[in-house]
Amino acid sequence: MKRFVFVVAVLCLLPVLPAVAQPGDTSAPRTPWGDPDLMGVWDFRSLTPLQRPSALADKAVLTLEEAATYQRERVAALNKDRRTGDGLSTAGDVANAYNEFWWDYGKELTDDRRTSLVVDPTNGRIPDLTAVAADRRADVRDARRRDAWSPVDRGVSERCILGFNAGPPMNPSAYNNNVQIFQAPGYVVLFNEMVHDSRVVPIDGGPHLPAHVRQWRGDSRGHWDGETLVVESTNFTDKTSFSGSGPGLRLVERFTRIEDDTVLYEYTVDDPESFELPWTVAIQMNVSAQPLFEYACHEGNYGMANLMESARAVDRQTAAGGIK
Amino acid sequence: MRRNITIVLAGVVMALATVPVVAHHAFSAEFDANRPIHLEGKVVKMEWINPHAWVHLEIADGTVWMVEGGTPNTLLRRGFTKNSLLPGTEIIVDGYQAKDGSDKGNGRDLTFKDGRKLFMGSSGTGAPTDGRDATEPE
Repeated sequence: MKRFVFVVAVLCLLPVLPAVAQPGDTSAPRTPWGDPDLMGVWDFRSLTPLQRPSALADKAVLTLEEAATYQRERVAALNKDRRTGDGLSTAGDVANAYNEFWWDYGKELTDDRRTSLVVDPTNGRIPDLTAVAADRRADVRDARRRDAWSPVDRGVSERCILGFNAGPPMNPSAYNNNVQIFQAPGYVVLFNEMVHDSRVVPIDGGPHLPAHVRQWRGDSRGHWDGETLVVESTNFTDKTSFSGSGPGLRLVERFTRIEDDTVLYEYTVDDPESFELPWTVAIQMNVSAQPLFEYACHEGNYGMANLMESARAVDRQTAAGGIK
Repeated sequence: MRRNITIVLAGVVMALATVPVVAHHAFSAEFDANRPIHLEGKVVKMEWINPHAWVHLEIADGTVWMVEGGTPNTLLRRGFTKNSLLPGTEIIVDGYQAKDGSDKGNGRDLTFKDGRKLFMGSSGTGAPTDGRDATEPE
């Protein structure tokens, strides 16, 4: 039944959004004050890639057999116990970092066996970046390739400011793919395991912050659209980016409890300065029986000091003529 | 046709496998691909901290190495505890040394002396016998 509901919900999404919310449907769980109840710990792991691999072209959904093959091959490919002798370069071996047991990508595709989390455009691909966004992204990549002079030269997730999968928006990634949702009258809190982020979202239909006030996670405001929580975020900074987005990003997230144990999480990236078209993602969130665990990132971030020490060591070697 | 899509899927998976790993930080900026290390020694302590756990390992010459692992949250979720890797446990580390030449490395592969993967070796925690798993050999 769960698989059926999720498939129907996402198939409704594929051509036109939004289509899942059922205004007036009061069958879903309710809070004591009458709002749809989204509270719980939700696990958004998935093997489904964000974008459809180019080789799959117009194939939006896999058959059962194809999905089984894909899952098996994908799990094997993600196995970090493979060593250089298995075809990885030494640099790739370093990038793999550590054994398989530290990683938590999940083992399954979405229930509807889609080939991408992107559902709009229908080719499952993120629309092309504009020239402005492409230049911005190239600048960031060049900066990252240089040895860092200070922590500020490194990415925000390395600095424990934002989690690389916590968003906004949230996306399945290597580990800590969990979010706990709390509700109170007039507020929803989105509490991510990654970097221990909490977004307190007023559900008051009020205006966003003044345009000159910019925040790491933007400014989120919510309202109910039938059974669906809609959260609109603006006021992002130029220090963050999601897949090429810029400070003008308008992000609209939608949370719908389509089953007791499933939330359909959708988001639309609307940023005309950065993308040729808006684009939308649909992610299945499954209830977790486990609690969130603490992720006190900054407290234990030896890695940042090590990165700086390593960069200075490279500087010394370069100055001595050891590295060209 | 079915064979064709299977071949395509295999190609797709291989292509995805070359996508850069998403981890908390760039290991290539911290560790040197030209300095592989092989360490055998006893655990001095394990720091169950985020964003990365660190295993402290004393090798035969008395040097204590720090070995970087992943988030402990993944292991906690699988039932491991702070008692799952106790001081004195003999382990082997294959990885890469820090670029600054200090006694730090990434824990590319962590195994017990008999070759079993650390945290993965048995139907239990994979850690040294800890009484959590009735089927675990003594």
